Amino acid sequence: MSIDNKTSTDLENKVKDIFQKVLDIKPEEIVPGAKLDESLGIDSTELVEISVVLKKTFNVPLADNEIKKSHSFNDIVAMLKSKGAN
Amino acid sequence: MEKIAITGLGIVSPSGLDKRKFWANVSHGRSAVEKITRFDASLYASHIAGHVHELDAYSNVSSRLLKKIDLFSHMALVASELSLQDAKIDLTKENLERVGIFMGNAIGGWLYAETELRDLYLEGREGVSPFMASAWFPAAPQGQVSIHYGIKGYSKTIVSDRASSLMAIGYAAKNLIRDRNDFILAGGMEAPVTPYALLCCNTSGMLTHNNANPHTAYKPFDKNRDGFAIAEGAGILILEGQDRVKKRNAHVYANIIGFGTTTDAVNRIEPAVDGVQLAKAIRMALDDAQLDPSQIDYICADGAATQIGDVSETRAIKQVFNSHSKKIPVTAPKAVFGNMLGACGALDVAMTILAMEHSMVPPTINLTTPDPECDLDYCANKAQSKNIKNALIINRGRGGINAVLVLQKT
Repeated sequence: MSIDNKTSTDLENKVKDIFQKVLDIKPEEIVPGAKLDESLGIDSTELVEISVVLKKTFNVPLADNEIKKSHSFNDIVAMLKSKGAN
Repeated sequence: MEKIAITGLGIVSPSGLDKRKFWANVSHGRSAVEKITRFDASLYASHIAGHVHELDAYSNVSSRLLKKIDLFSHMALVASELSLQDAKIDLTKENLERVGIFMGNAIGGWLYAETELRDLYLEGREGVSPFMASAWFPAAPQGQVSIHYGIKGYSKTIVSDRASSLMAIGYAAKNLIRDRNDFILAGGMEAPVTPYALLCCNTSGMLTHNNANPHTAYKPFDKNRDGFAIAEGAGILILEGQDRVKKRNAHVYANIIGFGTTTDAVNRIEPAVDGVQLAKAIRMALDDAQLDPSQIDYICADGAATQIGDVSETRAIKQVFNSHSKKIPVTAPKAVFGNMLGACGALDVAMTILAMEHSMVPPTINLTTPDPECDLDYCANKAQSKNIKNALIINRGRGGINAVLVLQKT
């Protein structure tokens, strides 16, 4: 089930928690389709910070700069899912 | 030089952030120097300092941004906001391409840097915040203030040890004369109360070891001095040209009318004992101001409270002012809250402006045993009433950097 269906999965909730803890972005700010730069004001350095935490939390391989292919919150969740995160 | 107006004051200091409270504490000589409690500093030869206690109460910086910046940038943001409010400037009505930022500090943002470097060695490269690179370096406060307000005009950060912010203010004034900016936020910030920064300051050999008596340890020009106590803080001033000031009918605290700077070139730490190069910087500033030495009513001294520092500063003043030197109050009010290193010049300008406004010379505290080699009127321990028209401010950086600014009351 995706974030667009207004019901968050466990994985989405976990990523939202990380966004809140690391970047002070509240879960309610992450609306369906939220763009990382335009909607959430995340810059390239914040992406690096998030990348390191995601890699450690979900124990998935994430190459340097790989996260930069993601443009939205949904993209990040989908990328983690494709790597087997849950 | 053409007069440049000071129209706003933003003070972040151990003696207060509100200018009235700050002036009350400084003019009454109430020491704000205390034992360092941020970390265990007991093994350092000098472990006392002036700390800023009320920053959060004045700050509108988001918690998200606070995770990315060092304390010295946070203090710069708060001081900048206070100065803009004080000058009654609404940035939404300004051409931000023509606003400048000139700031100085001596050591950068080590509170942030030290923690991250520790993590680098303990956890490897992924243990380091990616913000480390942009948080610690000396131009970080300039960058953060610029981003916060969208300020895009000609700007600079100057690193000249304890002369940094006085130089930033002097060069900002010169820059306004060249008409590169409409107005400038000028000053400095310093956050030296961190384990590594304190170590660096200690190894200079210029800090007091009188840890048992924090309030009386920093004693400029006293025979029993043994160095200064450090302090954290920031000071930002708004500088503008005369046409703009008239146009917006702004309150002018004072005008910058002269600036001079030289170097001693004798030692890595200490200034030259003879004071000759400092005297030359004073003369340069007076010439720039087109003033005779006899027209100076007040001197805000560097007041390092080191033997060579105090004696050479006294010698330089005597070389320039001759018989007039004993008639001018020479005060070092920074002893009240500690030496803010790269930020001390901005606070010295703020205190001089407030001294002009109140017609009162704030005291050099803790001066109880006069040094025969320091025989000027240092306004020992008690404020003096005096109308101040022209004032001279001296700052000196480690290794003999001399900066002198002349202010004139409007």
